[in-house]
Amino acid sequence: MINEQLAEISNLALVVTIVLYVLALIGFGADLASSSQRRSDARLAAQEHQGEGRTLQTATVAADGGGAVAGGGAAIAVDGGGAPPADAPGHGPGTGTSGAVAPARPASGGMSAQRFAFLLTAAATVLHVVGVLTRALATQRVPWANMYEFATTSSAAVMLAFLVFSIKRVELRALGSFVVGPVLLVLLLAQTFWIVPAANLTPSLQNSHWIYIHIGVAIIATSLSILGAVVAGMQLLQARHERALAELTSAGQEHPEHWGRFGHVLDRLPTSTVLEALSFRIHSVAFVCWTFTLIFGAIWAREAWGRFWGWDPKEVWTFIIWVIYASYLHARATGGFRGNRAAGLALAGFVAVVFNYTIVNTVINGLHSYSGL
Amino acid sequence: MTEERTSTSADAGAAAESSAWSSKPEVDRKRPRSAPSLGLRGTLLFLWRQLTSMQTALILLMLLAIAAVPGSLYPQRSVNPTLTEQFLEENGRWGEILDTLGFFDVFSSTWFSAIYLLLFISLIGCIVPRVGVHLRQLRARPPRTPSRLTRFTGYTRIELGRSGDRGADAPTVADDLIERARRSLRRSRYRTEIREEKGARSVSAERGLLRESGNLTFHIALVGVLICIAGGQLTSYRGQITVIEGDGFANSLTQYDSFESGAWFDETEMPDFRFTLEDFRATYVQPGEGGSVGEPRSFEADVEVSTPGQAQLSKTVQVNKPLHVKGASMYLLGNGYAPAVTVTDPEGNVVAEGPVITVPMGDTGYTSQLVIKAPDARPEQTAVVGFFLPTGTIDEQGPHSLYPDSLDPQLAVTVHQGDLGMDSGIPQNAYEVDLSTLTPVVEEDGAPVLVRLYPGQEFALPDGTTLSFDGLRRYAAFDIAHNPFEHWILLSALVAVGGLILSLFVPRRRVWVRVRETADGTVLEVAGLARSDDPALEDDVRALASSLTEAQDGTSDDPHDPDQERPARATQHSSEGSAQ
Ligand code: HEM
Repeated sequence: MINEQLAEISNLALVVTIVLYVLALIGFGADLASSSQRRSDARLAAQEHQGEGRTLQTATVAADGGGAVAGGGAAIAVDGGGAPPADAPGHGPGTGTSGAVAPARPASGGMSAQRFAFLLTAAATVLHVVGVLTRALATQRVPWANMYEFATTSSAAVMLAFLVFSIKRVELRALGSFVVGPVLLVLLLAQTFWIVPAANLTPSLQNSHWIYIHIGVAIIATSLSILGAVVAGMQLLQARHERALAELTSAGQEHPEHWGRFGHVLDRLPTSTVLEALSFRIHSVAFVCWTFTLIFGAIWAREAWGRFWGWDPKEVWTFIIWVIYASYLHARATGGFRGNRAAGLALAGFVAVVFNYTIVNTVINGLHSYSGL
Repeated sequence: MTEERTSTSADAGAAAESSAWSSKPEVDRKRPRSAPSLGLRGTLLFLWRQLTSMQTALILLMLLAIAAVPGSLYPQRSVNPTLTEQFLEENGRWGEILDTLGFFDVFSSTWFSAIYLLLFISLIGCIVPRVGVHLRQLRARPPRTPSRLTRFTGYTRIELGRSGDRGADAPTVADDLIERARRSLRRSRYRTEIREEKGARSVSAERGLLRESGNLTFHIALVGVLICIAGGQLTSYRGQITVIEGDGFANSLTQYDSFESGAWFDETEMPDFRFTLEDFRATYVQPGEGGSVGEPRSFEADVEVSTPGQAQLSKTVQVNKPLHVKGASMYLLGNGYAPAVTVTDPEGNVVAEGPVITVPMGDTGYTSQLVIKAPDARPEQTAVVGFFLPTGTIDEQGPHSLYPDSLDPQLAVTVHQGDLGMDSGIPQNAYEVDLSTLTPVVEEDGAPVLVRLYPGQEFALPDGTTLSFDGLRRYAAFDIAHNPFEHWILLSALVAVGGLILSLFVPRRRVWVRVRETADGTVLEVAGLARSDDPALEDDVRALASSLTEAQDGTSDDPHDPDQERPARATQHSSEGSAQ
């Protein structure tokens, strides 16, 4: 039986979540803008310090530890802007939320835009999870039986993963807009186009523990693909940016500028090498998850339809996703394809994930007709 | 094979090289592209090398992904033959062209097959030499310590002062360090080897060979999956049956509505089992419940199964809960209504009697098509055509059903007479009839007689034909299938993932510790080489270095002056971690 009241609460929670994400996104945006502002102020200051030179240049990873006797130098390049570590734990609770749209520069003792956005994001994520859980309670089943639920649940997973990563690694918080943005988009799509009333399961989804296993793993795989695509995309941008800066430097510019404000944002992010390594880590876990999705899906198909594989459109596209990610992994091991081209394949894999989720569910007609639309 | 040799011999200076395989394409490129002077053998060898190169594998993989796309965009004959025919009709010439190109049978088309077969040949050509190389590597000792360690990851050099006077034959600090390094590395599951060098000793350690084992296992298991799938194709069978409540089924070829099997399928191996369908139940969303009204909630088929040598069993078959008997599985895939109708011809003979299977048209209300053919009717052959409606209504849309459950069951049919064409020898679909050769029975005003019948009623047409609706039963449609290779496919797939996990997450690396006695004391050098993505290596190497020297401080019987003796200490790691 459906508990309509809980279903209402779930809806409400998700709507409020959307609002909070919008605010968080504004916060992250303000942070990026202000940091690039700080950055260029700092640059100007540095330019005045003729001769002292490259104090603010982005540190790069020392590729081989450079025979350093005392060299612990191979660290991720962080915050070249020399901004105070606004997120330091000891930075006291913010003095009120008066700066809803955060001031460009943290007033001393106030809350930085990033910290504000991060807290909002954390709160929104909690509410997001509450929305998903109440939906599950209202229907007394897993919250992933139709497109709407799959979208809300997997975007919650993305946010949880992001929080887990960035609670410890503060520098990753700068990626906030690039994670909250897509998640917000997914939630908006879900809330406007895919929303369906809370309902019981159709018979094809009943009586099977594979709904927990297969779809559960698929949600993890999808979330990782989203995260992976964000990182791979940033990697491509960063690589271009770095190349342009290097060219400008070799052309004799002492303080090269490229892509204006956005360039300053990129300066704050990890180098393309670091992003590439992170992208690979995420994608290798994602690939394992997709492999399991495929295998468990086949087992379920055999229990439900009497054959483990039938080239149903959903099966075809999951196969395509799997093959694209396999070629991504191969590309990384093949000379001439490493780096940018491999990242391109990772993004192609993500496009296939999106296609599999949107077009295959709604336009192409197959056995997997659980979109609920 | 070439690539492995290249990479191992390049090892000494391979600091920048992360993967053994990455060197291959560069080697390829240096080789002249065309090799006409090599003769036939040489050319074949050249082609073989090309086929088994990583680049080719990569391109074939990408092609495979692209080639699969049309398989989801165009209807596939093997998946949905009706849609395919419809598409062909609607698209005329364009459809024909696509058809010739195999776009409606993508997954059995020559081009798709060619891609995956080439891929797997490439794969086998790739694995075989690697297996040999890997087996040799598993038995080999860790390689020599490079003479200059400075270029390697996490290189740390620490000078330890003279540690006072020891007895002439007491173990030196150097021996001590080497032994401790070896033990520590062993504990972290490295294979180690102590090397005596000119004026120094070193430990060469290696771990993560499991990575390559996993990778090979993964690729071999993929070949296994493909072979088992092919085996399954050849030996499996699958058939469809429809059973009305109260009726039975005995497993034999003649009982199937349709049946397909692989080339090596042996009919005598079909298991001997029989069952009766006792009851079929369906529930639907009712007004006032969550969800859209009329959506199905559950389907259940109670069957009494008997297999040779076993007591009769009562089972309930549901969606997702198939019936498994030895050698076959039975899946509930469809259901519908079978109204019992009696047709009497104008001469008074009963020409059709009993439940008729009706075909649901796919709407939520379960409007179902009904066709009864009575070839024995006189004076003319008769066909009854129309609809069975579980909760019926007739409005401007014609007869249709509002709700799938049989709340207000009724028939809405017309009666036609003429030549049913059943003697022509062309096999006919029992659920369809060609009305073009028939004439409807009409009212006085010339309009066809629309018969609307409720259970228990009888209707007499103007020409003397009578119809009666005697009762209602349900039927269930099952698929019976068996694939003897299923378990092997699953097993290979799971082995493949196991291998995959090892090959992605086991770091493969080397670590070296060298200790040299000099006039001023002992110099310890530690460095590592990642042979895969291995972000932790640097930290692990430094942790090893600091744990070695810390332990040295703790255990040496003769403390020395830290200021003077240990001028340069690499990054201080608070963790006592050993190299992982
Ligand atoms: C059915 C086609 C294939 C699939 C689905 C496939 C899949 C994969 C996957 C998922 C990986 C990543 C695991 C890892 O990094 O160890 C991998 C690695 C690898 N594959 Fe394949 N593969 C296929 C064919 C081939 C072929 C034909 C070759 C040889 C030309 C090959 C050579 C390799 C090598 C050398 C690696 C290790 C790359 C590395 O060092 O990371 N594979 N393969």
